Amino acid sequence: MVDPIVMDLGIVALTGALATIAGAAEDLESDVGSQSNPNSQVQLAAQMNFPHRIFNKAISGEPPAYGLWCASGATVASVLMAKEMSIFFAIAIGSFVAAIILGLFAVTAHMGRTASQKRFKQPVYMDMVIGHVPSIMAHGYIAIFCIVAFSYIMDHFMGHPFPLPLLAFLWGIAAGAIGSSTGDVHYGAEREFQNQPFGCGLNAAFSGNIVRKGEAGLRNGIDNVWACAKYGGPLTGLALGMTVFLDNWRTTVFEGMNTIIAGLIIVLILILANRMVEVKARKAYGPYKDEDGVELA
Amino acid sequence: MIDPITIILITLGGVLIGLGVHFIPVGGAPAAMAQATGVGTGTVQLAAGSGLTGLISAGYMYHHLAIDGIFTNSDFMLVIASGAIGAMIMITVTMFIGQLVYVYGVGVPPVSAKVKKDPITGDVQDLYVSRGTEGHGVPTVSFVSGTIGGLLGGLGGSLIYVQLMEIVSDPSNMAVVALAGIFATGVFYVNAVLASYNIGGTIEGFHDPKFKRVPKAIISCLIASLLCAIIAVPIMGGVV
Repeated sequence: MVDPIVMDLGIVALTGALATIAGAAEDLESDVGSQSNPNSQVQLAAQMNFPHRIFNKAISGEPPAYGLWCASGATVASVLMAKEMSIFFAIAIGSFVAAIILGLFAVTAHMGRTASQKRFKQPVYMDMVIGHVPSIMAHGYIAIFCIVAFSYIMDHFMGHPFPLPLLAFLWGIAAGAIGSSTGDVHYGAEREFQNQPFGCGLNAAFSGNIVRKGEAGLRNGIDNVWACAKYGGPLTGLALGMTVFLDNWRTTVFEGMNTIIAGLIIVLILILANRMVEVKARKAYGPYKDEDGVELA
Repeated sequence: MIDPITIILITLGGVLIGLGVHFIPVGGAPAAMAQATGVGTGTVQLAAGSGLTGLISAGYMYHHLAIDGIFTNSDFMLVIASGAIGAMIMITVTMFIGQLVYVYGVGVPPVSAKVKKDPITGDVQDLYVSRGTEGHGVPTVSFVSGTIGGLLGGLGGSLIYVQLMEIVSDPSNMAVVALAGIFATGVFYVNAVLASYNIGGTIEGFHDPKFKRVPKAIISCLIASLLCAIIAVPIMGGVV
């Protein structure tokens, strides 16, 4: 007989694993389609006379968008489960419906945004629409499936009181916020501006001058996701996975006031870890100027 | 007759959310290109992401403690503390992982452009700002400020949720749970957006000069939350 706490911890670990995959897929979907803050540079590029072949669909922030996809997927899944369909197929079909809505959003957002830039001579490339949208939908599908799946586990196995669509909606918002805050920086500050030296922020004077040539041919969103999948995507997965795992772990292992103390200890450890990274970075990279204001790098 | 204590506590929750948003270091689009200090996303996005994670924690804890029909004052404190901790965990994890992207993916040290020395660590800041930027990454002072922001946002969101749930006092009724949860989310967004307008794009934390605008946000959030509370309480069945 397995100890119940072992079983509970296994469930918590499963939610963390699903959240890790969801986070990575969420960030990579936003890199293919160029949603969120780095897209300001994609939008600006055409206006600065740099026409490009980067997909552009940022008509909404990632958190509300993912809240919508996950709530849609979870609602369809809930209806199918109420009709006694198997849980796995219900979540799979629900996520597929949400991915179709995401695909429709991607097409209309991209064509609307790009067509509005006609005066800057930015073309609408139809081959890009056909090439990028399936990749956006595929990444989105993985993210939505995993978020709805771990929301279902929290709902039915961990005893969370929120109905599945509400829980998936809230986790969708959290996943979008995390993806927008972590992995997208790798896309915006590094991949979009590989024509600038490594080791500095983007000089405001170079705004809009994004890299437009790829490893082969002209760069597009799929080239960008290839690079971001090596660092930004996995780290986003780690962030969402850690959030879901640590929050569920403290309420599973401890009870009452101990859950609060355990949470505070986690927060303190993260503050100290951040300080260690900060000190290490300052030592490794050094200042950009000396004390007289003369530039060193 | 509407219970004034419920109205006051929901309004207080809204004010705490508005206040908390000002503590969260967000650099908006410029931070996504390492052009400004803070997390590279919008104010509302990060505040909502952390606050609603706190709401998920508070919802679970409330259900766990109130399901037997007895909900004491210490249970109440435990639920709102749980919401605050959930939000703090989400925001600290996000800021820490974001920091790893800045340091190892972009190659910049975390630095504030608003102060010459970090008020907490005493580290010199201005020499570490790369040319043409207004800082980058999440220095310690911003990290601590963000943690306080998560605490306040989580407290506010869970306070609103608990007050709405206590009107009906039926934690096993899924319709009530859903209504309270979505209303708490709505009040959260109202206050986060109001605070975001007050910030006007980017803020580094409590050391940023923009933080002095907080009193205006408190007044606005107070009025908006009061209106939200007056609408929410009767909908939840709180008119006797």
